[in-house]
Amino acid sequence: MAGAFLLLWVLSAAGCAQGGGGADPAATVLVFKHGKLSGDGAVVSELLREFEQRRPGVLVREELLPASSDRQHQYYAMNLDGGKAPFDLLAVDTIWVQEFAKAGWVAPLDDLLPQAERDEFFPGPIMAATFDHKLYAVPWYVDAGVLYYRRDLLDRHGIAPPATWPELVHAARVILDAEQDAELAGFVWQGKQYEGLICAALEVIRSHGTDLWTGDRGRAETGLQFLRDTISVHGITPLSTSMADEESTRRLFGDGRALFMRNWPYAWSLLERAGSPVRGKIGMAPLPSFAGHAAAPVLGGWLLAVPQHSPRREAARELIRFLTSPDAQRRIAVAIGYNPARRALYAEKSLLDIRPVLKDLYPIFLAARPRPVTPYYLMLSQSAQPEVSALVVGRKTARETLEAVRRHAERLAIDEGAPFVEAPL
Amino acid sequence: MTSPRFTGTERPTGLFRLSERGWGYLLAAPAFALVGLMALAPIMAALWLSLHRRMPIFGVDEFVGIWNYLQLWNDDRFWAACRTTLYFTGLSVTAELILGFGLAILLDRVTSGTGRSPRLAQVMIILPWAIPTVVSAQIWAWLYQPDYGLLTYLLLQSGFIAAPIDWLADPDWAIHAAVVMDIWKTTPFAALLLLAGLTSVPQELYAAARVDGAGVWHQFRHITVPLLMPVIVIVLVFRTMDAVRVFDAVFVLTGGGPGNTTETLSIYAYKTLFQTLQFGYGSALATAMFVIVAALSSLYVLLLRRHLRETM
Repeated sequence: MAGAFLLLWVLSAAGCAQGGGGADPAATVLVFKHGKLSGDGAVVSELLREFEQRRPGVLVREELLPASSDRQHQYYAMNLDGGKAPFDLLAVDTIWVQEFAKAGWVAPLDDLLPQAERDEFFPGPIMAATFDHKLYAVPWYVDAGVLYYRRDLLDRHGIAPPATWPELVHAARVILDAEQDAELAGFVWQGKQYEGLICAALEVIRSHGTDLWTGDRGRAETGLQFLRDTISVHGITPLSTSMADEESTRRLFGDGRALFMRNWPYAWSLLERAGSPVRGKIGMAPLPSFAGHAAAPVLGGWLLAVPQHSPRREAARELIRFLTSPDAQRRIAVAIGYNPARRALYAEKSLLDIRPVLKDLYPIFLAARPRPVTPYYLMLSQSAQPEVSALVVGRKTARETLEAVRRHAERLAIDEGAPFVEAPL
Repeated sequence: MTSPRFTGTERPTGLFRLSERGWGYLLAAPAFALVGLMALAPIMAALWLSLHRRMPIFGVDEFVGIWNYLQLWNDDRFWAACRTTLYFTGLSVTAELILGFGLAILLDRVTSGTGRSPRLAQVMIILPWAIPTVVSAQIWAWLYQPDYGLLTYLLLQSGFIAAPIDWLADPDWAIHAAVVMDIWKTTPFAALLLLAGLTSVPQELYAAARVDGAGVWHQFRHITVPLLMPVIVIVLVFRTMDAVRVFDAVFVLTGGGPGNTTETLSIYAYKTLFQTLQFGYGSALATAMFVIVAALSSLYVLLLRRHLRETM
């Protein structure tokens, strides 16, 4: 046991300090902080070595944080607050940029990305990165909620991927009843009390033409009720979903034990890799919606930013240009399936041949909407998480949940004297 | 030149002309300073912080008096966390005391013999307590897993349950799952303290009681428990303090979910302090926690005093 821990410790220490550093005392050492990438992150290291060759005298040291977004946020909050951050470049979640910008933790990058070039990126991430008319981060890769389904099972029963939520329930019910497989779940999503739950809930509610914090109450309640009903009424979602995050649902689906799954596109490469039990048996589709309304995938993904007071700001900005260049984005997409933030790449035949799924993802990313674009988003989400989680496990009705979520938001707006800005439809 | 000697008859002059009490204070001063610096200063700082509205990310830092506490009073989430914390504390501390007593008596029997096995038994029993909480919580999370977890498997095989139970996802079970893990982990601590108490009970008392015809239960009730009362109170104080502040065990198992049913005061304080970075409000939460611990501890000590007065 102790040996295993020692090994882990050594490995993690080695993982934390890949490449760079020490070779040339006169060199500028850039510290690049980002969360652990899924799969093999070697492609990023390769890119960094290439950057070092292009820029003699600059060394880049990669420092990894845990994959959990919450942990990363905590790290950045503590280290950026003092004004002297021990890093020169950081990867930020779409939902943090507003907060970091308002706090003055990250430097504006307006001149790095002229207006014309901004249009080459998806609009969602640019909107999430724009605070007070200034751009504070450059989109690195994008994410949006998608529906994974078991193509083999749907085909066997002659059912098309569902376009609406009731269709999804119907398809799951029919197939579950016919398969009689106690191990098979109908529809899994992220129901744990954390940020992922808010994404899943927002997607259902927004696909009913309203929102969690604003907009029509009745339709929002129907949306929330639908989430609960998948567990309690339709019986297509196991109760364990109330503790499920991205990875646990991905594993369940990856073991062939779920018919539908809401997740981010990162799961595709992992589900389709050699040795995966569901390889070649799955499909990816836009999320369903309620009849008469458009699907509403939530925008995710990561951006690159520079701490306000980094003494190596110039080199860091160059590295951002390099990592967000079409070439770097293409290579990251090929190697680990992280999706480019630049739209033009989705039309490149050579890339589409390697990753055909990009073609399906393009309209989804184009339609993806950020979570409320406000510096207060984390508080907003934090106050909503327990309420929605209570709904999922049946401790609160949809009405009580919505009431509580909006009451918290109103209180926040009064306390801060600044109501949050809603992302335009 | 010889150094001046203190013969006892000369009166010291200057700085050394202090009364005995003065000397006492002087010599104790470093200890006071240390305790003040290590314990009192942070508490005072937290208290001071709790009178501010402070969110460094937005550059908010203002003195607001008891505003945070008024907010706390109207905060349903705070009261729910209080209830969860007290429920957790009540259940786990009671069970730990009872089980710990049983273990201590068992160990006492074993260790009164000689040889290697008594030591081995002690080491075995103390093991759960020695494992870092985060690690044991992760182990328990696997045990509780509905699909491949050992607990569900054993219960299914033995026919106690008909279908797998998702212990951590079920809002009724989740807090109890955390309680069971805490009991497993800290009963050894209670047992160890009680064992130390047990070995100090004079054997003659039991011998005399046996001569008088007292049964095992009477011996336990009228000799063991009264003599161990100070130790029992110590166990209660230590365990209650830990249980009220419980964080890692529950956080690793459930993160406070589902539906906040397992959110203890420390988890709420953690989320407020480190996830949404509201330092003032988070400090108010921490202060409330401190008050609860202090109140419970004083209650125990009060009970002990009364008990000692009645029996001595």
